Amino acid sequence: MSLLFNTSLLLSFALFFVPKRMKYLVTLLLQVLLIVSTGTWALDALMGSEVVIVPLGISTWSGEIIMTIDKLSAFFILLLDFVCFAGVLYAGGYLRTSIAKKRDVIISLHFFSLLWLNASMVLVTAMGDGLSFLLAWELMSLTSFILVIFEGQKETTLRTGINYLLQMHLGFALIMFGFLVVKDATGEMSFQALGPYFATHSNTIVFLIFFAGFGIKAGFIPLHTWLPKAHPAAPSHVSGIMSGVMIKMGIYGILRVTSFLSADQELIGSIVLSVGIVSGLVGVILAIMQHDLKRLLAYHSVENIGIIGIGIGMSILGMANQDPALAVLGMAGALLHCVNHALFKSLLFFTTGNIYHATGTVNMDELGGLVHHARATSLAFLVGAIAISGIPPFNGFISEFLIYNGIVVNFTHATFAMSLAGLASLVSLVLIGGLCVYCFTKAFGLTFLGSRRSFHPVTYHRIPWIMIFPLVLLGLAITLIGFFPRLIVEPLAGALTAFGNLEAQSPALLSTSSALQAIGLTNLVFVVAMVVVSSLRAWQQARVVRATGPTWGCGYSAGDFRHQYTPTSYASSLLEVVEPAVVYRKDYPSIAEADIFPEKRSFRTHTSDRVEQSVVITIIDLLIKYLPMAGRAQTGYIHHYLLYPVVFMIVIVLLTHFNYI
Amino acid sequence: MLALLVILLSCTFFPGVIVKTKALFSGRKGPGIFQPWIDIVRLLKKGSVYSTVSSYVFQTGASVYLASVLVAALFVPFDQHTALISFPGDFVMFAYLLGLGRFFLIISALDVSSGFEGMGANREAFYSMLAEPAFFILMGSLAMFTGYTSFNEIFINLHYQDYFSIIIAIIAAFVLGNLTLVETSRLPIDDPLTHLELTMVHEVMVLDHSGIDLGLIKIANNIKFVLFSTLSANCFIPQTWSLGMQIAVYLIAQAGFAVGIGYFESFRARNKMAMNAQYILSISAISMILIFVIIILNNKI
Repeated sequence: MSLLFNTSLLLSFALFFVPKRMKYLVTLLLQVLLIVSTGTWALDALMGSEVVIVPLGISTWSGEIIMTIDKLSAFFILLLDFVCFAGVLYAGGYLRTSIAKKRDVIISLHFFSLLWLNASMVLVTAMGDGLSFLLAWELMSLTSFILVIFEGQKETTLRTGINYLLQMHLGFALIMFGFLVVKDATGEMSFQALGPYFATHSNTIVFLIFFAGFGIKAGFIPLHTWLPKAHPAAPSHVSGIMSGVMIKMGIYGILRVTSFLSADQELIGSIVLSVGIVSGLVGVILAIMQHDLKRLLAYHSVENIGIIGIGIGMSILGMANQDPALAVLGMAGALLHCVNHALFKSLLFFTTGNIYHATGTVNMDELGGLVHHARATSLAFLVGAIAISGIPPFNGFISEFLIYNGIVVNFTHATFAMSLAGLASLVSLVLIGGLCVYCFTKAFGLTFLGSRRSFHPVTYHRIPWIMIFPLVLLGLAITLIGFFPRLIVEPLAGALTAFGNLEAQSPALLSTSSALQAIGLTNLVFVVAMVVVSSLRAWQQARVVRATGPTWGCGYSAGDFRHQYTPTSYASSLLEVVEPAVVYRKDYPSIAEADIFPEKRSFRTHTSDRVEQSVVITIIDLLIKYLPMAGRAQTGYIHHYLLYPVVFMIVIVLLTHFNYI
Repeated sequence: MLALLVILLSCTFFPGVIVKTKALFSGRKGPGIFQPWIDIVRLLKKGSVYSTVSSYVFQTGASVYLASVLVAALFVPFDQHTALISFPGDFVMFAYLLGLGRFFLIISALDVSSGFEGMGANREAFYSMLAEPAFFILMGSLAMFTGYTSFNEIFINLHYQDYFSIIIAIIAAFVLGNLTLVETSRLPIDDPLTHLELTMVHEVMVLDHSGIDLGLIKIANNIKFVLFSTLSANCFIPQTWSLGMQIAVYLIAQAGFAVGIGYFESFRARNKMAMNAQYILSISAISMILIFVIIILNNKI
């Protein structure tokens, strides 16, 4: 298997030399090799009782690079292999026109990065050693950067890409700093060293450093600002993979660090929980305000990461309070939500790609009535929308149910403080669910239903089957988890063994598996009820007169598409309530009294993220203001420049001499 | 099974009693008790008119709405008599099943490309989002009080733990009663009899539904009404009484609830549209009070 893995990676360089039309097939082939090898390891680790260890045969100065795949890693590897496979499949259809148009090297580089993104994510989950982990992490950031700037001829895309690259490196620096702190204390730079470190040192600070570093990748508020920029710029299959699985690598890192915690769990849990709650609520509120479908989905990633954060936070609090049920259910819910979000979010991003393919835009202000032109895509979007709103019978409900169940079970014996934490997370989960329904009725309704919101004629492009097939694949997985949730319990219980103190408690999870079975059954009952009701309806419809006519306009007969709700007006009733999270701007020159014959004027609304405005922009403004001071050191005299290293060396010598470092 | 039967039984007269009460209070004779159902049967026999812009979503929306409410009905117990489906945390699924139906009703309203129906859809999405926390906080606090997490066990253990349970049952019934009004779009949130589309919530959403689809929606609404009123009745009916007595008390309570709504609707004006959000949030605030009362009762502070 190791041979297969290495071969596929080595052969990936051949992508630059094969003819243009062959590139996609070669990529697909190599990816299958990659998935077969890594998937086999992951299955071995998940089914067996031992950790799978694979030496890669490459050495760095810190020793040989070895992949150690335990059940938690295996869980993530299987997930990311599946989503990456669907993504590459989808890319075949989505890139078809670009392949013809773009230069050879750009296409090669894109496919090459796609392959290496998959490989680097596998490596991220499998590296225990700090240095090789950081290398894999960097590889992941670089390849995804190349994927984001596929449309690099546009200036905004390039700008976004650079913004993304910078933010990822800020995260990288934080993670490296965390590892260095640990190495300084224990002499070893690895995740394993966190155990002894946490046993003897304060847990909070190092955890928070890692949390911030990984949080940038995951997209916790206020570290989320790259998400709504990068996703609209990237091609749809890349957005799907990035939002589906790459941001989960941040969650993986947080989970890995969490598994070694040994003290201060109350404080850490509360911090993670609060960040999760804020991310969930603010994420979904900002999503509702968007006009651009891909930005909307990007903010939903922030929201879903928030739900995962709530699960992890409650679980850590459960560990702190010796409440195994909460600890297990919260963590299992968070892990399962990683899977679920990966499935429905990539599905939704791929359908957005189809919408773009069919109409040339993803701006909801110009969409509508697409259901008549893209039926299969609309069904796929509907499945994704129901799943992401956490509504049965699909998978989103299962993971939210696990978290809910953990909270409510905890209620039955909670202390005062835990009751408050539970109440806060209960209320925010419910609100997030309700807001999600609000958002996805908007997204689905305004995009696919009604009539098109534009005077400009459009030619709809037919969507080829290769852009539908990956959606079917993902939709099946979503339905499978929704109807047979017990299938997932076993792997979940396995992944939980990474958390030493939860290992003995997985019975708590297995005991909810009867509830999960009941949920699966209820979903089947719903399907039966649906079949009965609709066949009765069909029977009736065959016997009565069915007429068609224009929509009832309440007596007004000159209505057209402009009467419909728009993204802005659909969001407006919420806007009054959520003022604190959103900056709302209306560009409309008002009509003066003297304006008897008003000129033609335009109306434009703009909402932006208050967190970004007040936290991120403020900091950047300060930096822009004060950093030029450092420019004074650049005098232009070579004498000064020679002086700086001399001063630096003297300082180092002095500090060493007095044992400061 | 028994639970389902009594629910369906009280469905038969519940809407009629409300209409009759309102008629009597306004000095009219009013239609018979079963008139709403006769209307529904007539709708089920009628042909339908579909908007030319509508799609499969509109065709399935009403059926999904009814199916989801029917399945949700399997979750509701009648006093200590078990519901057909019961598992720890089942109330979460109950609420989310209703959410599924609502989701489809909203998107079928958006399917006909009408500004009015869009308005109704928008309001429904907004109000239900605001109302949902009240139900979860309520069930959470009952779980905290009784120590169980399924409808069945909560209602079995709610009774007569001590005298406090009466206070708790009253607050719970109050919250559930108010939630019923929001969920089924009654006064003071929405006036089902209003004539002006701009002030409607639920009715304007189903403007374009006709024939069997409208009938299915009306059936689902009636069942939904009884589901919530059964939940609040469960807070009160003593378990020690014989089955016959329990059913009798239950039916009387249902009729009383319907009369109460009729009375309330006869003398109450609807809220200003802008006040609705505040009104609905106040229900959550009351259930928040409940949970703090329970925290204090359980000596957690």
